Amino acid sequence: MAVLKIENVSKIFQGGTTAVDDLSLEVSDGELVCLLGPSGSGKSTLLRMVGGFERPTQGKIFIDEADITDQWPERRPTAMVFQSHALWSHMNVFKNVAFGLRLRGLPAAEIRQNVEGVLEMVGLAGYGKRMIHQLSGGQQQRVALARSLVLEPKILLLDEPFASLDQHLRERLREEVRDIQQRLKITTLFVTHGQDEALSMADRIVVMRDGRTEQIGRPDAVYRKPLTPFVAGFIGTMNLVEGQVMRGAFTRAGIRVPLPVADGPATLAVRPEALDLIAAEPGQAQVHRITDFGTHGIVDLELSDGTRLKSMATQPNALRPGQGVDLVPRALTVYRESREIYRDVHD
Amino acid sequence: MAQAGSIVSPDEGNEKQPLGLLLVAIPVLLIVWLVIWPIISAVIDTLWRSDGHGHVGFDASSYVFFFTDTYSLNNLALTLWTTGICAALLLICCLPIALYLRFGRGRITGYVQTLAILPLFVPSIILAYAFIRVLGPNGFYDIVLHGLGLPKLRTPYLTPWGPVIGLVWDNIPLTVLILLSGLGSVKDQAVEAARDVGANRLQVLRHIIMPTISNSILVALSFAVLGIFSAFTLPYLLGPASPEMMGPFMQRTFDDVNDPVAAVTQAVISFAFCILFGLFYVRSVARNQGRQP
Ligand SMILES: Nc1ncnc2c1ncn2[C@@H]1O[C@H](COP(=O)(O)OP(=O)(O)O)[C@@H](O)[C@H]1O
Ligand SMILES: [Mg+2]
Repeated sequence: MAVLKIENVSKIFQGGTTAVDDLSLEVSDGELVCLLGPSGSGKSTLLRMVGGFERPTQGKIFIDEADITDQWPERRPTAMVFQSHALWSHMNVFKNVAFGLRLRGLPAAEIRQNVEGVLEMVGLAGYGKRMIHQLSGGQQQRVALARSLVLEPKILLLDEPFASLDQHLRERLREEVRDIQQRLKITTLFVTHGQDEALSMADRIVVMRDGRTEQIGRPDAVYRKPLTPFVAGFIGTMNLVEGQVMRGAFTRAGIRVPLPVADGPATLAVRPEALDLIAAEPGQAQVHRITDFGTHGIVDLELSDGTRLKSMATQPNALRPGQGVDLVPRALTVYRESREIYRDVHD
Repeated sequence: MAQAGSIVSPDEGNEKQPLGLLLVAIPVLLIVWLVIWPIISAVIDTLWRSDGHGHVGFDASSYVFFFTDTYSLNNLALTLWTTGICAALLLICCLPIALYLRFGRGRITGYVQTLAILPLFVPSIILAYAFIRVLGPNGFYDIVLHGLGLPKLRTPYLTPWGPVIGLVWDNIPLTVLILLSGLGSVKDQAVEAARDVGANRLQVLRHIIMPTISNSILVALSFAVLGIFSAFTLPYLLGPASPEMMGPFMQRTFDDVNDPVAAVTQAVISFAFCILFGLFYVRSVARNQGRQP
């Protein structure tokens, strides 16, 4: 249906904040791309430029080869789901969803049919007469979604749409939105600062930092092969240990990991699930706490200099707090000056 | 304050209730004494009158006179006309200003706000003389026109438009402030969402902003209408001698014509109109709230 192309776009706000910095991105037809990054990394600004609510200071935005950079939001084939407050409280559910169609001058019967169809799709069949304040937070966001979908936009934009909902509801809506998006094959840009959301929904993830892309890739690639320590630390749980490589081995407070890299400072990144423990006295680290989650346990470890690490253990009960352990990383990545210099994935 | 707060708290209120009632009673008594009683007594004084032989009875003749006297009716009509025109002009002037202040970006908004609020701090008397100096005969306007060799324009001074201009100017700040507070409840994202589904600026105004602030518009207009209907200073200083607005009319009837019963009758009739506006306002607000609690 539609391809979104963002070309070297920058946004510098009055006052000098560079919210988005020379960013390029292409979202292919029917793809769901998540913009993931900490608060203030420019995700919303980028999304709002695509929707037409901010004008890029530089660069161009195309939808299906058509340059829309200077188009008013009401003329763009995009539809946005806002974080909150965006429903019109003086209209009921039906009127909220129908408003866009009414502006297009569609006949009443057709409007009714479309609105009822889309309300059913988001699970709100029969809610048309309700006022907005009579709905729960989750239902309100469903209305917002319906209002966007009913216009059959070429590009769907969602800005942290579930941020104000509780965990359980968030997970459910996440799945539903993903289902609908795949059914309609609608090209989608989804902003979130939650890695779970990005990992579970996205075809591709764009990790943003300070207005720039840190890494673009499929969820598993971003998770397994983070290109920078920032991505490594931001997605999933990651043990990041700074230390020195000397004579072919990374060292820090009692741990020693042989590495085939040149001497110098380095950051070692190991996922908890890739960090095995072997009981040893005195050991490289000490067990600090064990949390049993049923399916697995998380073991908190402490190095002799106080550095904390986490390890995922399938049988946490084999360990006890205070005990010494040796660390055996099964997979690791080494960074130097924010660049990956070595990766070892052997399992 | 702390004590008053604990009095109304429901769990420990019982034994302290007499004190609470006493505190409420003072303003209530003041209102009854200063407002309610004068109203009742005004109505009674104009309807139960002595017939000259010491006999007191029902007598609506002062009202009959008012509603048959062309001069009185013209004054009432002028007052209603002035009030209506002012209300319309206020809305036309203040809504764009308020919209600009709410949605405008940049440095000028600060200056516009100051300018719009300024009349609030200018007493009506000063305003009236400023008006006379600028728009009155041989005022600034006349001098400029004369200097340019242009013919004199008819000044609005001492015509019905004089009070209209003065009253509108006088009421701009309050109207802008009330509309602005109403516009505060229009969320940016609600406006953006409307643009997103295809509404242009005018459609956003009509379908999103106006319905959201309809109550504020009502409040602003009620304040303006009630104030303008019973205005005195500006109509007195800027308006024509005849017909005149109810405020100056009453004052002249009381002082110059020395007919207190006729003056009080005019007051009661003015009050009746204000009550009508009030009822209309209460009904509209209630209806709006029924629609969107
Ligand atoms: N309207 C604005 N005016 C000035 N600065 C802004 C504006 N909107 C956002 N910013 C700034 O731009 C940066 C990126 O913001 P935003 O895009 O909202 O980040 P995110 O959505 O990733 O949290 C932040 O530093 C923010 O303060
Ligand atoms: Mg944001």
